[in-house]
Amino acid sequence: MTTVENEKPQYKYIGADRKRVEDPRLLVGRGGYIADLKLPGLLHAAILRSPVPHATIRSIDATEALKLPGVVAVVTGEDCKAHMNPCMNFGPSSIPQFPLAVDKVRYVGEAVAAVIAESRYIAEDAVELLEVEFDDLPAVTNPVAAMEPGAALLHEGHGSNIGYERTFEFGEVAEAFSGADLVVEDTLHWGRSAGMPMETSGAVARPGLNGVLEIFCNSLNFSYFSFLIAGALKLPSNRLTMNPVPAGGSFGSKFTAHKVPTLAGFLALRTGRPVSYVEDRLDHLMNSDHHASDRYYDAKMGFTSEGIITGLDVDVVDDYGAYMQFGVGTHGNAFSQIVGPYGFRNVKYHLRAVLTNKCQQGAYRGFGSEVHNWVLERLIDKAAAELGLAPEEIRRRNFIQNDQFPYKIPGGNVYDSGNYPAVLDKALGMIDLEHWRKEQKRLREEEGRYIGIGLATTQERSVFSATEFWALNDNPDFPLTSSPESATVTIDPTGQFQLLLHCQSMWGNSPETVGTTVLAEEFGIEPETVNVSYADTARALPGTGPGGSRYTVMLAGAVRGASRKLQRKLVDIAAHTLEVAPEDLELVDARVQVTGAPEKSLSLAELASTAYFFALNMPPGMESGLEESFTYDHPYTTLPAADRSDLGVFYPIMGHACHIAVMEVDPDTGRTSFLDYVAVHDAGTMVNPKSLGGHVTGGAAQGLGSTLYEELAYDDEGQFKSSTFLDYLVPTANEVPPFRLGHVETPSPFTEYGIKGGGEGGRMVTPSVVSAAIDDALREYGMRVRELPVKPADIVATVQASIARG
Amino acid sequence: MTSTENKYDTDTRTVTLRVNGREVTREVPTRLTLADFLRDDLDLVSVHLGCEHGVCGCCTVLLDGGSVRSCLMLAVQAVGHEVETVESLSADQNNLHPIQEAFAEEQGLQCGFCTPAMVLRTKEILADGQERSDDEVRDEISGILCRCTGYQNIINAVQNAGRKLRCGASGGCGTAGDEAKGA
Amino acid sequence: MKPPKFMYCDPDSVEEAVALKSRYGHDSLVLAGGQSLMPMLNMRLANPDVLIDINRVAALQQITRDGDVLEVGAGVRQSVLESDPAVAAAVPLLGLAIPFIGHIENRHRGTVGGSIAHADAAAELPCAAVTLDATVVLHGTAGRREVAARDFFEGFMTNCCAPDELVVAVRFPVTPAASGSAFVEHARRQGDFALAASAAVVALDAERRFTSVAVGVAGIAATPVRATVVQDALIGQAATAENIAAAAAAIGDTVSSADDMHATGAYRRHLAVTVVKRAITAAVENAAAVERNGS
Repeated sequence: MTTVENEKPQYKYIGADRKRVEDPRLLVGRGGYIADLKLPGLLHAAILRSPVPHATIRSIDATEALKLPGVVAVVTGEDCKAHMNPCMNFGPSSIPQFPLAVDKVRYVGEAVAAVIAESRYIAEDAVELLEVEFDDLPAVTNPVAAMEPGAALLHEGHGSNIGYERTFEFGEVAEAFSGADLVVEDTLHWGRSAGMPMETSGAVARPGLNGVLEIFCNSLNFSYFSFLIAGALKLPSNRLTMNPVPAGGSFGSKFTAHKVPTLAGFLALRTGRPVSYVEDRLDHLMNSDHHASDRYYDAKMGFTSEGIITGLDVDVVDDYGAYMQFGVGTHGNAFSQIVGPYGFRNVKYHLRAVLTNKCQQGAYRGFGSEVHNWVLERLIDKAAAELGLAPEEIRRRNFIQNDQFPYKIPGGNVYDSGNYPAVLDKALGMIDLEHWRKEQKRLREEEGRYIGIGLATTQERSVFSATEFWALNDNPDFPLTSSPESATVTIDPTGQFQLLLHCQSMWGNSPETVGTTVLAEEFGIEPETVNVSYADTARALPGTGPGGSRYTVMLAGAVRGASRKLQRKLVDIAAHTLEVAPEDLELVDARVQVTGAPEKSLSLAELASTAYFFALNMPPGMESGLEESFTYDHPYTTLPAADRSDLGVFYPIMGHACHIAVMEVDPDTGRTSFLDYVAVHDAGTMVNPKSLGGHVTGGAAQGLGSTLYEELAYDDEGQFKSSTFLDYLVPTANEVPPFRLGHVETPSPFTEYGIKGGGEGGRMVTPSVVSAAIDDALREYGMRVRELPVKPADIVATVQASIARG
Repeated sequence: MTSTENKYDTDTRTVTLRVNGREVTREVPTRLTLADFLRDDLDLVSVHLGCEHGVCGCCTVLLDGGSVRSCLMLAVQAVGHEVETVESLSADQNNLHPIQEAFAEEQGLQCGFCTPAMVLRTKEILADGQERSDDEVRDEISGILCRCTGYQNIINAVQNAGRKLRCGASGGCGTAGDEAKGA
Repeated sequence: MKPPKFMYCDPDSVEEAVALKSRYGHDSLVLAGGQSLMPMLNMRLANPDVLIDINRVAALQQITRDGDVLEVGAGVRQSVLESDPAVAAAVPLLGLAIPFIGHIENRHRGTVGGSIAHADAAAELPCAAVTLDATVVLHGTAGRREVAARDFFEGFMTNCCAPDELVVAVRFPVTPAASGSAFVEHARRQGDFALAASAAVVALDAERRFTSVAVGVAGIAATPVRATVVQDALIGQAATAENIAAAAAAIGDTVSSADDMHATGAYRRHLAVTVVKRAITAAVENAAAVERNGS
């Protein structure tokens, strides 16, 4: 565990708005996405997807499909069962999953069979010729009903539709409520949405030399789990090489997205030919790798008459869909910031993860912590209204104070640092709340318009540790504790820099800009001169990849670590050449010089030349060359207690945000619009404020989507209703307001340069603040947002019911 | 009628059209979409397929100067037309067109998947040489979905590009207010 | 998501297109702007043996003024119509309604005839055509005939074309100069199909009483409908907010759309009243503005 001073040092490159080094290639249309990869002899796969929610597969007849010219093969779940192991799975092993359904289908859209053909056109023609007989089973679509005795079982081998159940209790919860002056309760539903990047998931696989299977894919962080894909494909791990391909967005949807590359790899093995499987939008909407959280809450919170929170009691049923591929990690995320920025000590959390005939769940920007944020903020707003406290005041009264950090929360996670009042004050300083509160009253009285103000203060945890994958389980199969990141820095013989990253990390973030900025800071070179490349898994050092707002922190740690090793070597060579002691030298502006005497110096090019070509000028025994690698481990993590009375430290790099929205709601149409919106974030030391701002804005837009527009809906019979982009409503520019951004920098004491993660932040806050603003606008009608997305029809129904009641 | 039937009873056609200023002739399946033709036959992989049902706009190209969804056209329908993809602005990463440069300066992109479409649409929007408000730009780009940026930096990029095109590559003719006074 | 195989025909005359349609009938589909049909082909929700592409028929791409009628060829692009000053002057409602159709990328390809023939009850042009008492010109093997727009739309995505007939033009009566026009739409996102939309064209006398009222509504039934119950209630009445609101309220009872994932039936009933009320109100304001500018 390294620490840096809490006072932020002055940096030359870190903290400056810089153009991204990734952008020129993207701007000329050469992003190098998976669908752009054209290998000689490449075949294309299309998938037959289940039209029914729950059925046994009686037969699949591919006779006609195979007769079609250009069709090479048809692969089914029977082939998977015969030639594969189940896919990687962090859930119970009694809930196995294959990339094609084996024996039965469990949701509309589940992959049933793959056709491999000379073109995607022909493959789709052949899919239409497949004849599948299903024996329908009762569809289980309601998670509460799914738990009832007698409900049809999704997985007979598991014996129950409850994938996971446990109650966690930290502190004195009963006392917290019995002693409370006010208890607010609510029933809340966070509906299904998903990351929904503009590029779908895809993979190209080909049998290579020496029996090695090569898979190119846009899944993130596969260097972390390629051995598990090899295991599913029954290959020795060194006979699978996964190659990084940039992703056209992920937002969680490509995080640990394993089924697409696993399937492509399997199809290549079955045919012995290179095969491309790139999801189309229908594939992605119905199936993708996963949808995101779909949670039903009964939640209550206790307060003193002064508005001080005494405790939280959450009973959550999570509609997991048909499989448990990531276990309950999305609830681990809720535990990482279970009290939000507030200092209460008593928490109870009853979790049931329920299996239903819907697509499985997984990551989406926030990974479940954004849902918990919404629940906390909903309850606090309700209490504020009942206690007559302004939303900013009730929050301020509950903030963890600056002198309490590092702060251990109930459950065990630690918040590294923070300055919550400063973030709130900054937001309040950017928007004149008193003005808007007057306007709200005036516009209502004079123009009949309905204005609402919402305010939320939420946590923005960053830098996950691997313990979060399993800490909620008593007997995890693989209780790993590593989540490292590596970098290799090479200075070539002419003094030019190469930076090698050891995972697929480019999805729209800017790993190359971050890495080159750190190198610039460390060596005084211009960032744009560095070349960046990515290692495949045959060559990769330990890496975990982006996810959980970790990559900037971890990459900075890795690059700085490698830089320090190189700096030591450069100084040693310079000391030998200049015949001075190493401790009398310093590295300034791409030169190693005698401290305070720039005239006695050597350039990096001169030192590099020596390192590669003049061994006799080097210190005796020193290796030639200038290449160093560094693997940066998670800066601060601890094991959970055996009885899970304490979950350990697993998400300690804690950012914070405050958003304030002023909205107008039309009670006759349910239309919502924004009059102003400020978003202030504290992500520690900023590497590139413009990039961070872009992520805040993009995340906030997605939060807006989850709140007002986006819905992966199933009807009561289990039919999927959101199968096109005319039904799954991604916000357009017209739906997204200009967010006015502010930043506060509270450096982390645990990370290099004090950086915190900020990639997910916007989406962690928007649902809370928009819900609050809508409530506030229609307070006279008793509006209370309790279900997301909140649709115009819901708003109008509330208003009309209120009018009908008089 | 027999002759008519013969004329059309073919799975492929020879098409000739102009793409990025050059005339191209290819034999294509009649059902091939314009998007797939550009990507697969001409290797213009800047044309991205995001939904293939005409909503996301990532496959936007300029057809005779106007932005269209290339997934909703057949290649055979482009015969005799002029098609522009983002490569028509600049295909040289070291020598970007002012619109591309404006996107880089404003970070009007993150993953890059909608970016060629947004750049092309920007070219069309700015063709009239007029200044416009942020709200006007917001509406004008609303036919292309971006999942990364939340749009604000794209709007900034369109405005920046407009300044560059009106005032030279530096965009250095003062603020919007100054321009208005000068105009 | 790739189109299935079909025989692709691209005639260059109306006669040849009609001959093909006559020959292949229900096994064929007509491709106009492709903004609805191409998605259906890509998703294989449509699987025609024959695709008759009418984009090369130059005769369908004319806009002509014929006395008090503006005749718009079926192949005219929506974006051409929306930006044509002569169209805006002759039939102002078109310029107000068309910007609500999808996005500009759709309107650059989408055609007037394609939208009309597609007969989506939530679409803007069918609603405008019904409101304006337009006629749809059909051409079949027996020749040309005209059908009133309100009779053209027969049911859910269904028009009255015979298998050998093609929509070749829409004839819009030129709007009387002293009228006011408005189009009001509410959708989940701007550019989406309307949850409900209303077009209104009104004229007032010197005492601000309605002398004519035409109101159309989209998205509330299987076809675009004229709000006759609202029109009848307002004729001769003063154009006050109270009168408009009272009249508009009656439209709610005519809403037949059921619940879907974007809107409930109850919501659509309320929304229909709202958009009708707002469309008439805006048309009245527009009429006043027209009068001011004209005087």
